Amino acid sequence: MNRIPSLALLVGLGVGLTARAQDEIRIGAVLPVTGKESKIGGAYKQATELAVKEANDAGGVQVGGKKMKVNLALLDDTSDAAKSAQLVEQLITQNKSHAIIGGYGSHLVQAQSVVPDRYGVPYLSGGAGATAIYGRSKWVFGTLSPVEHLAETQMAFLDDLVKQGKLKTPLTIALVTENTEHGNDYAKGVNDFIKAHPGYKVVVQEKFELNTTDYHPLLQRVAEVKADLFLADSHLEDFIAMHRTYTQMGLHHQMLTHGARGSDAAARKALGPATDYIFASGWWSDLLPYPQVKEFSGRYKSATGTEPQWYHAMAYETTRALLAAISKAGSLEPEKIRAALAGLRLEKSIVPGQVLSFTKTGQCDLPFVVTQNKPGGKVDLVWPKDSKTGDPVAPIPPPK
Amino acid sequence: MTALLRRHPLLPLGVLFGAFLLLAPTFTGRGTQNDLWNMAFFVVLAAAWNLLGGFAGQVSLGYSAFVGIGAYTTVLLSKAGWSPWLTLPVGAALAVAFSVAVGLPTFRLRGPYFTIATIGVGEAVRVIASGLEFTGGSSGLRMPAGTFDFLANYYAMVGLALATLVLVAWLTQHAFGLALEAIRQDIDGAEALGVHSTQVKLQAHAISSALVALAGGLFATNFQYISPGSVFDFRLSLTIVLMPIIGGMGTLTGPVLGAMLFSILQIKLLASPALRDSYLFIYGGLLIVVMLFEPRGIMGLLERLWTRLVRRQVPAVAESPGAG
Amino acid sequence: MQKLVVVALNSLLAAGLYATMSYGLAVIYGVMRIINLAHAGLMMLAAYATFALNDRFALDPFLSIGIVAPAFFLIGMGLYATLIRWLPRSSAGPSMQSLLLLFGVWLVLQNLAYSIWGGDTQSILTPYTMESIPLLGGRFGVPQILVFLASILSLVGLNLVLRRTFLGKAIRAVTQNRDAAMLSGVNAGQIAAVAFGIGTAFAAMAGSMLSTLYAFTPDFGRSFLLKAFCIIVLGGMESFTGVAVGALVLAFIENFASAYTSIPVSYQDAISFTLLVVVLVAAPGGLPGLWRTFDRRVVAR
Repeated sequence: MNRIPSLALLVGLGVGLTARAQDEIRIGAVLPVTGKESKIGGAYKQATELAVKEANDAGGVQVGGKKMKVNLALLDDTSDAAKSAQLVEQLITQNKSHAIIGGYGSHLVQAQSVVPDRYGVPYLSGGAGATAIYGRSKWVFGTLSPVEHLAETQMAFLDDLVKQGKLKTPLTIALVTENTEHGNDYAKGVNDFIKAHPGYKVVVQEKFELNTTDYHPLLQRVAEVKADLFLADSHLEDFIAMHRTYTQMGLHHQMLTHGARGSDAAARKALGPATDYIFASGWWSDLLPYPQVKEFSGRYKSATGTEPQWYHAMAYETTRALLAAISKAGSLEPEKIRAALAGLRLEKSIVPGQVLSFTKTGQCDLPFVVTQNKPGGKVDLVWPKDSKTGDPVAPIPPPK
Repeated sequence: MTALLRRHPLLPLGVLFGAFLLLAPTFTGRGTQNDLWNMAFFVVLAAAWNLLGGFAGQVSLGYSAFVGIGAYTTVLLSKAGWSPWLTLPVGAALAVAFSVAVGLPTFRLRGPYFTIATIGVGEAVRVIASGLEFTGGSSGLRMPAGTFDFLANYYAMVGLALATLVLVAWLTQHAFGLALEAIRQDIDGAEALGVHSTQVKLQAHAISSALVALAGGLFATNFQYISPGSVFDFRLSLTIVLMPIIGGMGTLTGPVLGAMLFSILQIKLLASPALRDSYLFIYGGLLIVVMLFEPRGIMGLLERLWTRLVRRQVPAVAESPGAG
Repeated sequence: MQKLVVVALNSLLAAGLYATMSYGLAVIYGVMRIINLAHAGLMMLAAYATFALNDRFALDPFLSIGIVAPAFFLIGMGLYATLIRWLPRSSAGPSMQSLLLLFGVWLVLQNLAYSIWGGDTQSILTPYTMESIPLLGGRFGVPQILVFLASILSLVGLNLVLRRTFLGKAIRAVTQNRDAAMLSGVNAGQIAAVAFGIGTAFAAMAGSMLSTLYAFTPDFGRSFLLKAFCIIVLGGMESFTGVAVGALVLAFIENFASAYTSIPVSYQDAISFTLLVVVLVAAPGGLPGLWRTFDRRVVAR
């Protein structure tokens, strides 16, 4: 085979570069900083960069005998799945990243997750809860617990309210989900729970497209069946538009949720008191009564000026977990990092349960929290019961 | 041979480039190979679209539907146990059928009306694909394990790109090409001269849809995961149209130049954090500049430069007296 | 029966919104045969402008239309003077070129919004945003009602301008036959500039009104743009009354399909796109075209 002379030069350069660059940890990240997922993608960027900065400010990460600085190469996939996968490949082949932090959004992470296996590079995503992604490759890890369990946690919470006598079975459910993998998983979680627990019945199940222009047709169907509970899963914009229509139509259910939405400050700003009593379930809440959570929130706020939401916290903790695994591995070799991730037990973590670890499939399976909005802009953590900051109100008082 | 060279002065360049593409895996890294694969993919889409859009002047903004049909056929049949290579002709056949089904009613429409109709079709297909269970709905589908073979896929894509260019060149050199051109310039006049415009349009649509579907099938095998958002997207349809327009519609080299420019731009923009936040400015600005100053794209620009140069070299050539 | 009334009223209100966001597109297409893809970007920018006014000066979104619409009228004329005017006119050319040019403008507007406001979701909450009025057995949101009224006013206003003023007649003349209009002394270039300005102003008005109903990001506007296409095609692309009719038909079909069939709601958009294609193919003149054919064939004279 004819080798071009410049190849030798390149190899020489490469060897030289790698020799020098063995003193730093190269992490690659591909996030949707612009495009459809830009809002949370941007938040992930901020949190990831902060975690790296904190590690570097502390002198670096201890790997084997020395402290190494972290070199973060963060690229924007503009919320495009094909681009996302190729950028991950680029970071692995050209940037020679030792590990990759995955993106945000199930379809983006799905596309990315086929790449790590080809090269044997550890990949940790803090931005996708879809179960279909994990278990296929030993190199792929995820810190977001399955979305089905989010739904099942909400159902368990409701079931507990029944046991307390606040709600009475039989209860009918209107189940409305966004037409995405997240929404599909949510619906599956609800249906799985119902199969195992009598007393609940889904009387209307509908999907809606992202950015639907008119929610009246959908909510008209919901209104007709006069269900007891309204369970929805949506993005922030759709939640706002739908809940506005919901309130205007004078609809009312004993309990109402939009999956992980509802307790955000942005939702309060857009909907005012109409968000009262909405309950939401998520991967993290700043109300968790652990000292490390308070300390993290304070630190995050003073460093960035933003109050951390769940996505900031999970992105931050994902980066921290990866760096901890690299330190634990004591080496930059991919298989060692991978093994360290697989067996990681990150104590005093800010996640619910305080310990971050991965299951056999590479995905975390941590407890979810349930929060409920209270009048006056207050939010209470109502589940798990041992961490609660206030009592749940059920059923929701009818509108005046 | 000389006649061929006279008609296609850039042919030697093209052959060199083709050779480069074919030999690239021997001396370049995976990153570059990925970029070249992307370029080849875009070349197929742009050149195939150009047959109907550039030569015949029927601008369709719904070509992502064919990419999707090819991709989904490959994934669904592969999951059922077929070899991915055998799924490709099936995808192409389905695309042809769809192109006829869409073309028969819509080719009655002229100009922008046709374009709007294709937008509607493309979007309707996307919404339906997101809603159906057996296509995985909005969650998308994954290729079964063991179907990934980058090198084979690379050669297939490059081969497809070269074959597309050769096919388009051959078709447009003969009566078919003249018919397309006639339709673009004056459809009524063409009909009067005996061109069965609807038939010709349908044929061009069918051929280009088949090529695009083949590319879609290879896309599915290369990325291993598809979803309605990635293959049925309106933005993909716009990109497919953008490339021949910037490169030069109705020419053979135009789509290739457009595809090259587009993929290079993509790579450069995304890799540099400084430009990352402004990539929309750059795309938008490029579009605006091209549309305002040289709507015939890069080829048009080159042609203008060439005529200026030729004029300069032969100043004695006078305007023919009887012309004008 | 009650359900019928409620669904019909919902359709009417939705139609008001749809019509408002389509007038701007219709003006520009009618006069210049240009498909204004930047329409979505202009609506989005106007929504952000309204938000900024509301944020800084606590100005009510509907009132801020008084500032935003004229400002965008000037922006529209500016866009025309700097960009659109230079597009060459040739047979199959202008529409495709203008379409892509304006798509480029849309991209630039998106980036502009990103750089100024970031990708965060914004929204405007007024005291009446969540309020509704009970009527004939249903409850109808106050913002929707206001939008509907604004739509009617626009329709009446537009028609008055078109029929009673010289400007309006000039616009109609250029729409029907540009060359003949020029022969009659109409400065087609000036009219085109004004029409583009009007189209942009209407896009801005729609954006301001949309900001009272929806939360938005720089990506906002795409789904509305595609619906607006359907509407102007349904409406025959020749008159504003046609646009209103098209909006009514689309809104009615969406609401009635959902209320009286079991077609999943997620196929709502597929209905509108299929309708678009069907109308284009079977009735290119839109509904007014169908009416004319009916009028000619069935009603004997």
